[in-house]
Amino acid sequence: MSTVANVKNMRLKFPGVDSLLFKDFSLSLKKGEKVLILGPSGSGKSTLLQVLTGLIPHAVEVPMKTDEINIPDSWGYLFQDPDSQFCMPFVDEEIAFVLENLQIPKEEMNRYIHHYLHQVGLAFKNPHTKIQTLSGGMKQRLAIASVLALEPEVLFLDEPTAMLDSEGTKQVWETIKQVGEDKTVVIVEHKIEEVVDFVDRVVLLDEQGVIIADGSKDEVFASYKQVLLEHGIWYPGVWRDYLNSKPPSPSPSPVSINPSVHLSDFSVYRGKSVKLHIPQANAYPGDWVTIIGENGAGKSTLLLAMMNLLKTKGTCHFLGQDYKSIKNFADHVAFVFQNPEFQFVTNSVYEEAAYSLRLDHWTEEQISPRVNQLLKTYHLENHTHIHPYQLSIGQKRRLSVAASIIKEQSIILLDEPTFGQDAKNTFAILEQLEQLRRQGKTIIMVTHDRNIVEYFSTKVWSIHDGKLANDSSTGEYLESNNHVTGEISYVH
Amino acid sequence: MSIDFSYQETWLHKINPSLKLGFVFLLFIHLIMIHNTNILINYMFGTLILYLFFTGHPWKRLMIIFLPFLLIFLTSSTSMIFFGKGDVTWFKWGLIHITEESFFRGLHLGFRGIIFAIIGVVFALTTRPVYLFYSFMQQLKLKPKYAYSFMAAIRLIPLMIEEMQTLHYALKVRGVQSGKGIRGLYNKLKSYSIPLLSQSIRKAFRIAVAMEAKRFSNSGNRTYYYQINFSKVDLVFVFYLIAVFTLSYYMAVQYPYFPITDVRL
Repeated sequence: MSTVANVKNMRLKFPGVDSLLFKDFSLSLKKGEKVLILGPSGSGKSTLLQVLTGLIPHAVEVPMKTDEINIPDSWGYLFQDPDSQFCMPFVDEEIAFVLENLQIPKEEMNRYIHHYLHQVGLAFKNPHTKIQTLSGGMKQRLAIASVLALEPEVLFLDEPTAMLDSEGTKQVWETIKQVGEDKTVVIVEHKIEEVVDFVDRVVLLDEQGVIIADGSKDEVFASYKQVLLEHGIWYPGVWRDYLNSKPPSPSPSPVSINPSVHLSDFSVYRGKSVKLHIPQANAYPGDWVTIIGENGAGKSTLLLAMMNLLKTKGTCHFLGQDYKSIKNFADHVAFVFQNPEFQFVTNSVYEEAAYSLRLDHWTEEQISPRVNQLLKTYHLENHTHIHPYQLSIGQKRRLSVAASIIKEQSIILLDEPTFGQDAKNTFAILEQLEQLRRQGKTIIMVTHDRNIVEYFSTKVWSIHDGKLANDSSTGEYLESNNHVTGEISYVH
Repeated sequence: MSIDFSYQETWLHKINPSLKLGFVFLLFIHLIMIHNTNILINYMFGTLILYLFFTGHPWKRLMIIFLPFLLIFLTSSTSMIFFGKGDVTWFKWGLIHITEESFFRGLHLGFRGIIFAIIGVVFALTTRPVYLFYSFMQQLKLKPKYAYSFMAAIRLIPLMIEEMQTLHYALKVRGVQSGKGIRGLYNKLKSYSIPLLSQSIRKAFRIAVAMEAKRFSNSGNRTYYYQINFSKVDLVFVFYLIAVFTLSYYMAVQYPYFPITDVRL
């Protein structure tokens, strides 16, 4: 087989970082291979893709040196964030942008646009449709269509489904498997259960960007399991191994018969129309509720409404009190947003954690032990004085949780706290939440991860088309929804 | 959050955007040189007709947009009316000194402000940014590098509005009180602008890389999905302006509203 891309003895260093990210790194890709690149956050997986396409150093100026580098003659690159890879507002214009770059005559453009949209299974009556109105999965398929317009022989995929729900993820991978059949495909991906049957070679990187393993997928997954575990990398069966190492102990029965959260005939309005309706739902102290549903079903809306941020009607009681009449609301209910950066309001990690206490006029002697202890629990004690933005993605997430729950609120609402985290961080966050739950707190959490639903939650609220379709215990839910658990069959 | 901003396409939408912008610019300059309030009022009716009947936007939206126009009129005229200089005093009370001259100058300024606003909004309501920049590239030979950067930036605006909403909730949940006065304003500005900027810079950078990944380059030729040309509608537009222009002068001479022909005197 011929080589389509290779790099020999690459050295690369990001400005402002002391050590080299890659040191004497060599890799070559053969024609037709389907390669999966795995590594912990910060190991340079995306950087590697950008080097292999020549985006580094041509588009992104990063100092690098190689003895030899060959980039493929034609390649396409699919990015992670559906919202920041389009530069035009309409579907047809976006594909036309690529065609313009390739100097395709205007008369032929419409035919090509239909052709590529058809290839990724997007059917529009009129392709002059606003990209804004598409779902995440459709946006990514549109991105694939515009990549296909380049007629690439090599596809580089940089976590294309990291931002998608399970339905979108499935659609996107089905599309990629179809269009990538005859191409060389290089994939960086966290949710590997979807791709593992598609790839044939796995390259494993460590934090410094050194190749630890490179071989067929069976070989790598069989002999490097310990390494994968240590680095917190997702691999098929990571959940099974985790559960084997820490079998879930039986959870204590609810400590109270009075619900800590009680919703009935609760409607959330946007303008004059009802966006979401909850006929009846309860959560008790010691409950871990997972809210599930497709993207845009109204999961985050429910959390925001429960925080009294949206216009609502009906009953919402926290600890037996109407939520609108609770004084010191923030003493009882904590909220963790999906994007941690949005909730940082101070200039250092320590101040961030202490913020709510200072608002309550705690004295310095009271604040200091509490904050230090909490930062220690969340493994942030060595970073107390740096700016929250300088933390890694996992650290940011932990800080946002720590800062929110510092007042030991009895109800904690979280919007996808494990989103985009590696396996190690995910399990760390889940374990900390489990601790809180065992102390009798109520946890209400939006998630897309079926494993969390199955192994951590005690209750499931599923939202469908702006309505709560189900409020039942996890056991009941899983029994009545047997068909969907097939998605995680590799666990059993 | 999605903002519905649908409209009917009218002949104003079909005008060549570069030409439209050019004439809007000429109108602005010409407006500054008109000193006869009578002409200005006629002029205003001419542009108001375009605003009310030919933008293709629903009445309710047009009315809402019109509200600030009145504010512009009031603020720009009253400051001149109350504090301007003049010989024929109508009313005097402390600092406020209304004279005949200042009154008409004030009105004049007010009308000028309104016409500026109407013309600007008519342009904004009837011009898709994408067509504008395609036209810039094709008629004015703007470099694609700049045109596409602008188009990509415009795409970021709704995303930013959405992020601002989230940020607003987050700050509320954290109990952020920015305090009062200048310091409060400064704190508020800081707590919004830093996270929004950091997100936008990151997004802009990603879009730039994505554009290069789609083989967008500065060198070489490109074809265009939209060919923006001149058409008969452009002529209609130019003739309409000429008609408004001559009629305004003619009517101002024949049937003046006020006996004043130059507010500077």
